[in-house]
Amino acid sequence: MSVESATEPVEVLPGPVAQRLHVTSTGDPDRPVLLLAHGFGCDQGMWDGVLPDFGADHRVVRYDLMGYGRSDVAAYDPEHYSTLDAHAADILAICAELDLHDVTLVAHSVSTMMALLAAVREPGRFRQVVLVAASPYFLEDPATGYDGGFSAADMAEVAGALDSNYFTWAEAMAPVIMGTPDAPEHGERLTASFCRVDPDVARQLLVVMFTTDFRPLLPRVTTPTVVVQSRADALVPPSVGEHLHAHLAGSTLVQLEAVGHCPHISAPEETAAAIRAHLLPR
Amino acid sequence: MTQRDYAELWQRAPGGHLLLDDDGLITAVNATFTGWTGYTAEELLGTPFPKLLPIGDRVLYTTHSLPQLMVSGRIAEASVQVVGRDGSRHPALLSATRVSGPDGPETQLVLVDAQQRRRYEEELLAARRRAEESEARITRAEAELAELVHHDSLTGLLNRPGLLRALHDRLGAARADRGDGAVPTVLFIDLDGFKTVNDDLGHASGDELLQVVARRIRSASRAGADVARFAGDEFVVLDDVTPSGAARVADRLLDLLAEPVVLQGVEVVVTASVGICSAEVPASGPDAAELVLRRADNAMYRAKAQGSGRWTAHRPGDSDPGADRLVLLEQLRSGIRQGQLRVFYQPRLHLPTGRLSGVEALVRWEHPTRGLLQPGAFIDAAEQSGIIRELGAWVLAEAVEQAVRWDATGGPAGLQVAVNLSARQLADTDLVPLVARTLARAGLPAARLVLEITETALMSDPDAALRSLQALKELGVLLAVDDFGTGFSSFTYLKRFPVDELKIDRSFVTGMTTDPGDHAIVASCVHLAHAMGLVAVAEGVESAAECDALRALGADQAQGYFFSRPVPADDMPLPIVVA
Repeated sequence: MSVESATEPVEVLPGPVAQRLHVTSTGDPDRPVLLLAHGFGCDQGMWDGVLPDFGADHRVVRYDLMGYGRSDVAAYDPEHYSTLDAHAADILAICAELDLHDVTLVAHSVSTMMALLAAVREPGRFRQVVLVAASPYFLEDPATGYDGGFSAADMAEVAGALDSNYFTWAEAMAPVIMGTPDAPEHGERLTASFCRVDPDVARQLLVVMFTTDFRPLLPRVTTPTVVVQSRADALVPPSVGEHLHAHLAGSTLVQLEAVGHCPHISAPEETAAAIRAHLLPR
Repeated sequence: MTQRDYAELWQRAPGGHLLLDDDGLITAVNATFTGWTGYTAEELLGTPFPKLLPIGDRVLYTTHSLPQLMVSGRIAEASVQVVGRDGSRHPALLSATRVSGPDGPETQLVLVDAQQRRRYEEELLAARRRAEESEARITRAEAELAELVHHDSLTGLLNRPGLLRALHDRLGAARADRGDGAVPTVLFIDLDGFKTVNDDLGHASGDELLQVVARRIRSASRAGADVARFAGDEFVVLDDVTPSGAARVADRLLDLLAEPVVLQGVEVVVTASVGICSAEVPASGPDAAELVLRRADNAMYRAKAQGSGRWTAHRPGDSDPGADRLVLLEQLRSGIRQGQLRVFYQPRLHLPTGRLSGVEALVRWEHPTRGLLQPGAFIDAAEQSGIIRELGAWVLAEAVEQAVRWDATGGPAGLQVAVNLSARQLADTDLVPLVARTLARAGLPAARLVLEITETALMSDPDAALRSLQALKELGVLLAVDDFGTGFSSFTYLKRFPVDELKIDRSFVTGMTTDPGDHAIVASCVHLAHAMGLVAVAEGVESAAECDALRALGADQAQGYFFSRPVPADDMPLPIVVA
């Protein structure tokens, strides 16, 4: 299945890392770099809605998480990708191969923790990290009063969770053609795009997501951060955004009017405007 | 329909119906849904819908279904479960539409019961998981089998098929433009003196020696090299190296292998010869692997010919005895079919009377381009390939039939015909019936046939030779030990062999009139033959002086150029009487 991009086909960049992760570049190549990392169960098409807002004065680099979208699934080694470190290393590999500096890294969902790992490992590489719908830990931790939104009982189901709707994930990979009552022009395309997921790959990332506590990572982050939180996010309760803001030194917390875990989908203009408003001045 | 009818229809629809506001909170729910879940409508109103889903479905709904709904306005038949008040699960297909309501956008959500479909999916998935598991098991089993099939159980090294596979892989991957000049290279290692260890200390010690040698070869090779036990005491190191790198490896190998090995308290020194051949890259043709191995093998033989403990590398332009040999064998095979083989006969005389006593049948090959070939040009190749059986049977039949033809054309009555048997023929279980059939078909008495077997052939496996000779003896044929004095006969064995003649090797006969040592040897052979009750026959008599000397020593019979060269049957000068 091939997925067309927002306006015209964007060619994947040359280079082994770019080929492996389907790295694309749009916008003005001489402008500051915005590197976009998509979230769980998605691919880089998820960012299409915010592209128009940044293309004019940024070079926008996007890629597909290993195992997702049009990344080279043949190169997916489950053992290597059994922690988020491997994905963080992929972010740094993209920066190295493309020789990106002073990067503004915008990450969504599970990629937010990969982004923080990358920023801790190579702080000099990044100007700023924007975290959309981020959570350092999805479980509740009564001992510290932290509420990640999921209980220990939920947790017990995680490993089998994707098996329970395995075929829905698998089916979702097929292109779906459907009416678009409010007629967003790119609706049909996006529907096809963000569903490119191998259920087995998704299952592994889900397990990693739910079994890793990234809270100890937060104090080690020295790069300036923006925490973007939407309303009624079924995966990330409001208290999680507050926790991030409290433990990320020099962070800014932005509360969106937008609803749900994917505000860049449901309200791309508001999300893009919120990000732009908090970019560090050049 | 009244408004009430619509409401009733909605409440009792076959599926669960819900309305959600833009924040995903439930604003309306029908009776079907509350019936499934055990919640009251009041409890559900204001609850976020994803809270009713188990964790996996909640992630699916949040990360897939909701964005899809936002973008396209619809969700079509996502397979989920709804968790009831008592924790029970209700499989359902979830469809949703986003519409503009009176208070902003809202979501109409329909859940269709999917118990049956769910069961199918679960069975399908379980089958898939089982298939994956059994596929993994099959893959593991295949890998283990491949491991067994491609390794030598004694040394743990690759075996011949394993080596060929590794060589094919390396040749397939090799590129000329590697830059460092390293190419797949074969070092062919042959041990000198292994057979002695096996014979003197037994097979267990031989095996132990091979294991020690295998370890040494492994440690002399670079990491990443393939090491194989090719056959018996032949080993191969396969590595991507430059020519000078290969030479260094060969030096290391020879040094390490020259170290003594202690077996059963006995210090054994085994040396080796090494042949090196680098592959031509890119490899040409499907036989590239065999070619590089054969060239390394040939180079090894050249090294061995210079004395053990050396290495030699194949040079482009070196002749390829292996390839020549294959061509020769192919030509020989067709030569036999096309009647290019001839039998020549050399007379043998009774020395005291000078009368013809018999003839030795000797094979010649009328080669279409190379002319008349002596046995030395093709017998070894035939012997090694097994063509000797066909060739030997043909010569035997031809000679036996010729003896009968001479009888019929007034030749000397009772002429004996001698035919050579090779080691391979001697070991052939079909030999005795073959001889019996041949004699019977021609109608020649068994006592008119002499089978000549070299000393070396007899001693290569004396026990088996003894059994064959006894069976031949029972047929009534006469047996001669050929080239006597050149091998390492054990007289113990010789005494047990039921032989009738000793044929004294031509090398002693040729020297006997000039070299006292040779004279003494011939004398001993004649005495030995007589002492054992055997006929003493001298080969290679070329002069009157030799003939006289042999007569003086009491030799019984003789053959050689002095009397007659081997000639075609029709040219046989009959009768022959020595003046």
